[in-house]
Amino acid sequence: MKSIKILERLLAAIPIMIGVAILVFLFVRLTPGDPVDLMMGSAGSVSQQEIQALQEEFDLDKPLHVQLYIFLKDVVRGDLGDSFTQREPVTDIIGRALPATIELAFGAAFFAVLFAIPIGVYSAVKQNSITDRLSMAFSFLGISMPAFWFGIILIIVFGVKLGWLPISGRLDYGFNFPSVTGLYLIDTVLARDWPALKNAVLHLILPSIALGMQLLAVLARVTRSSMLEVLRQDYVTLARAKGLREFIVIVKHALRNALIPTITVLGIQIGVLLGGNMIIETVFAWPGLGRLAVDSIFSRDFPLIQGVVMIYAFTYVIANLVVDVLYTYINPKITL
Amino acid sequence: MLEIKNLAMAFETERGLVRAVNKVDLSVAEGEVMGIVGESGCGKSVTLLNILGLVPHPGKVLSGEIMFQGEDLLKKSKKEMRDIRGKDIAMIFQDPMTTLNPVFRIGEQIRESMRIHGLFKDVKGGFFKSARKHAEKDRAVELMEEVGIPSPETRYHNFPHEFSGGMQQRALIAIGLSCKPKLLLADEPTTALDVTIQAQILALMQKINQEHGAGIILVTHDLGVAAEFCHKIAVMYAGRIVEQGRTEQVMDNPHHPYTQGLLRSIPKMSSKKDRIEPIPGGVPDLAELKEECAFYPRCAKAHDKCLSQEVPMFDAGEGHTVRCYLYG
Ligand SMILES: Nc1ncnc2c1ncn2[C@@H]1O[C@H](COP(=O)(O)OP(=O)(O)OP(=O)(O)O)[C@@H](O)[C@H]1O
Ligand SMILES: [Mg+2]
Repeated sequence: MKSIKILERLLAAIPIMIGVAILVFLFVRLTPGDPVDLMMGSAGSVSQQEIQALQEEFDLDKPLHVQLYIFLKDVVRGDLGDSFTQREPVTDIIGRALPATIELAFGAAFFAVLFAIPIGVYSAVKQNSITDRLSMAFSFLGISMPAFWFGIILIIVFGVKLGWLPISGRLDYGFNFPSVTGLYLIDTVLARDWPALKNAVLHLILPSIALGMQLLAVLARVTRSSMLEVLRQDYVTLARAKGLREFIVIVKHALRNALIPTITVLGIQIGVLLGGNMIIETVFAWPGLGRLAVDSIFSRDFPLIQGVVMIYAFTYVIANLVVDVLYTYINPKITL
Repeated sequence: MLEIKNLAMAFETERGLVRAVNKVDLSVAEGEVMGIVGESGCGKSVTLLNILGLVPHPGKVLSGEIMFQGEDLLKKSKKEMRDIRGKDIAMIFQDPMTTLNPVFRIGEQIRESMRIHGLFKDVKGGFFKSARKHAEKDRAVELMEEVGIPSPETRYHNFPHEFSGGMQQRALIAIGLSCKPKLLLADEPTTALDVTIQAQILALMQKINQEHGAGIILVTHDLGVAAEFCHKIAVMYAGRIVEQGRTEQVMDNPHHPYTQGLLRSIPKMSSKKDRIEPIPGGVPDLAELKEECAFYPRCAKAHDKCLSQEVPMFDAGEGHTVRCYLYG
């Protein structure tokens, strides 16, 4: 039953993706700047023939509707075209960058959830205590602090001054393990290459903290306020009246309910984490989609921009679906 | 079995001290049904929560004793109270729709009390204590059957939102009964339900009282229900008990002007000429209470003496007590 609904939702994503494809195709061509010009750069003596040859190679000489037709026809077959600048299939380029972004997004979400929920719960249980006030003040700081600035601070303190953690890239040189999923944390485990795993984890820590800090702050606040609401409910009193220990009352009876809003926010934010980390990826030289997006926009690499945007849209759809499925497990009143 | 002596508790709010329970004396013998009646907000629910040691924040017990089987519950440690809650003293809450936890299955919620109080801890065997779980489940299904939930085997796996209000209340009663409590605190168990279901639930409670021999404190604002069902009745007004006695004493010969007013405000089917007479005025603000009689502003028989000092409990004979100078 549930799997049929999930399949339905995936099928419903197809028209959305086609819509996204058309929109991004048009917007990319509406923005000023010509890819061929940029590619020639300041080479100086470029002949008209050379320019024409390039335009032909990229189909840029054809009328717009023909270009769109070619593009959509390829998209349906799972072909996003070749990158203008890298002369390589866009799918291959994205295939290398996407796992990096996913790994970072999950690292950030993991960091945020790991701390936000205990902080939120504790603050609610000890409402108005010093701990509560302090953590809420810090969460306010976390929300208002720009992520790139925080990232730079982390780099300076933990990378440069203390030298505890690596500050750029996903891995040091010299490691070699087969790429199965592209997610280093999984691939290293599959290869049982523990030093590489440790190295990948260390690389993940600072960017995850930088990217996840705002989410941590938001989730802590959401968890606190929904927990405060839930703790006032009759079913919590009933749990106590049954003779349960306070810890069980809070973690089992109250938290399960309080997490519903937290998961909603997390679901929305996961999309943001996947799509909004261009700055963090740039700061930490993280070879992910964000950096790819920035580079492709600067070079007007149309196929690459289109591919990146479509992948963003797709991951967003998937993230939402995952959250909705998760939702049905945590809130029995909701079905897909 | 239960004897509350001089219990007083208050909420420390911004508006001042809200005296929700004020020098309350109550006693329930084994197998007895005690009714507490009174208007909304007079402190009935809070009194029951006090017995379980679950006064909500920012409530504080100011004085008194709650003797249960010879021991003062107010002096017990947290651990000792946890062992009593749900096992020796169980509570059925006022609003079934909000009292069951929406994210757990009904059966699991009924089983939970049995598990924490180790009802079947001697049942050994099976992987992951499956023998014990089966024993608990069998008992839960049995209980659901007993409280009148149809097809309990399937209903066991339902979530609360799949139950009607009446069924939810039955499930709550099943939870309350799961460890065979000696004392059942029933906080308006029928208020949220329609009349036919109300009658069924009351009949069920009566059966529990007679077959299990459990003492019951039944909180209600419905004097008719109290009259039919209780051995003794305590009338509560603004945190105080103003009249207490055996049901016949209170119902047939009400002494306190408030009790008389309550009885007159019940619609009667039998006699058309009897008009309903509501008690004039409204419930006082508990934050502004003084020592004087709180019913004074609404009382037709009030005189100056009522304002001068705290009105003591007077004995009107044969255990019938009244907090009113008319009987002093
Ligand atoms: N958490 C709280 N904080 C402050 N005041 C409270 C709190 N809980 C209850 N009170 C006050 O205590 C008084 C008694 O409340 P209680 O719930 O016992 O009334 P009740 O007699 O059960 O009424 P009802 O018939 O409506 O259930 C009320 O005036 C209420 O305002
Ligand atoms: Mg109440």
